[in-house]
Amino acid sequence: MTENTTAQAALVVDHVSHVYGSGPSAHHAISDLAFSVQPGEFVSIVGPSGAGKTTLLRTLAGLLKPSEGGVIVDGNRISGVPAGMAMVFQDYSRSLLPWLTIEKNVGFPLEGKKIAKADKKAIIQESLEAVGLGGFAKRYPWQLSGGMQQRVAIARALAYRPSLLLMDEPFASVDAQTREGLEDLVLKIRDTYGMTILFVTHDIDESVYLANRVLVLSRPPARLAADIKVDLPEPRDQITTRENADFIRLRGHVARLIHSGGDEE
Amino acid sequence: MTDTSTRALAARATRPTGTPTRGRRALISLGYFVIPIAVVIGIWQLVTILNPPAPFFPQPFAIIANLWDLLFGSPKAVQQVFYGEFLQTVGRMALGFALGAIWGVIVGTIMGLWRGARETINPIVEFLRSIPATATLPLFIILLGGGDDMRVAFIAYGVSWFVLINTAQGVGAIHKTLLDVGKVFKISPARRIFRIVLPGAMPKIFAGLRIASTAALLLAIVSEFMLASNGIGYMLVQAQGRFQLLNMWSWMLALAILGLIINTLLEWIEGRILAWHRQSRART
Repeated sequence: MTENTTAQAALVVDHVSHVYGSGPSAHHAISDLAFSVQPGEFVSIVGPSGAGKTTLLRTLAGLLKPSEGGVIVDGNRISGVPAGMAMVFQDYSRSLLPWLTIEKNVGFPLEGKKIAKADKKAIIQESLEAVGLGGFAKRYPWQLSGGMQQRVAIARALAYRPSLLLMDEPFASVDAQTREGLEDLVLKIRDTYGMTILFVTHDIDESVYLANRVLVLSRPPARLAADIKVDLPEPRDQITTRENADFIRLRGHVARLIHSGGDEE
Repeated sequence: MTDTSTRALAARATRPTGTPTRGRRALISLGYFVIPIAVVIGIWQLVTILNPPAPFFPQPFAIIANLWDLLFGSPKAVQQVFYGEFLQTVGRMALGFALGAIWGVIVGTIMGLWRGARETINPIVEFLRSIPATATLPLFIILLGGGDDMRVAFIAYGVSWFVLINTAQGVGAIHKTLLDVGKVFKISPARRIFRIVLPGAMPKIFAGLRIASTAALLLAIVSEFMLASNGIGYMLVQAQGRFQLLNMWSWMLALAILGLIINTLLEWIEGRILAWHRQSRART
């Protein structure tokens, strides 16, 4: 990999390996994983359960220091949580602060940052409206449904104005209809804000439906089993996209890879 | 709209229709509280009237009247007894409670956040708190003398354990995701403590504060049994020594009222700070 491509990419995963523990009980979660993501790309990461998806995401977020290799964000090798990166966590009920109202939750990433009060207010309102929750500013998270709570978590990430958004199985615990609405919301937001999005999921259809690229991880120790380009017509549509012959072929391809544990067919 | 009004709205929204209003409910709960006490006092009064003399058990109305007389009977009484004794005890208790609570929250938070600190400090905590706090009074007197600083330090020491243990548990139980949220959005470590860790542990901290407040009153009185020259505890032993049973009972009554006031105050504060906790639990 040349320095030139490193400077261009929004994110470079530079031969990351991670081992939990040591000795005979050591667990090799990730093994020599390398890929890069271009600015504005929507990349899905799928893999068999226990494939180290969460380990990978925590590494990318700077929350976990990998045993080997490193992560480069916007040309800089990270040594902690990188600037301009936000995250939407899987468990919305545990990622929102129940003692704060919705607007204060959304404004939480701005706390202690040097932004004028009026600007903060405007950012919060805009972010809430972007996820369709403009009228819920004064409510508390526990007064909202699961899908709405995850929208709040997305609005919170938006308020941070990230250039890179990491999403960790964000729709794993909402019902199917809510999930479709949230998927389209994420696509809309990507178009509005022009962010780079890394979306971890265990749902094969979802990974193909959302992304420009699907990265399939193998069984642990996770390595890159396949890097699949998704060239489906834009904008995506819950009905026509899923009927598209290419969509069906791609989801079959990804499914076979996952069921075989990442070995080539 | 302020937070309080949203909370009130939320409370109104969650109340099923047909239940009594807030004022009525308060009246009913007051009734549940007052009536049993009134019945006991009535029986006591009746027994003492029918069976005189009962020197060890004065009539309840006499106790109440005597307490009023002691505290507010004359301008001199207000000056000497209300300010000189009653508020002395309250002041020591409040200061000791506050210092002990702050110390407990600080050490408890450190223990809750860092496993290394927890494993190092825990054996010491377990050992020290096994010594009944009252048993450490002679040591405090030897170390700090017979003054108010000794009493405040003794109360603070005794109450800190309850707050410390509960804070450590509350902080330790905060979900990792919540801590990650603070890190991901680059919230400063100090802010993470005050905006995520402490609010998250607040329900547990309050549980500790409640026990601690009871202990604070207990320890304040015990500390005034020895080497004191004022305070309710001092007045109690004085009354006992002089065989003034009516006064002894009056001071006991004063302590009961004081304890009730403290508990009610704490409950009220808790109700305001932890409204989110109560309501979110009621939902699930």
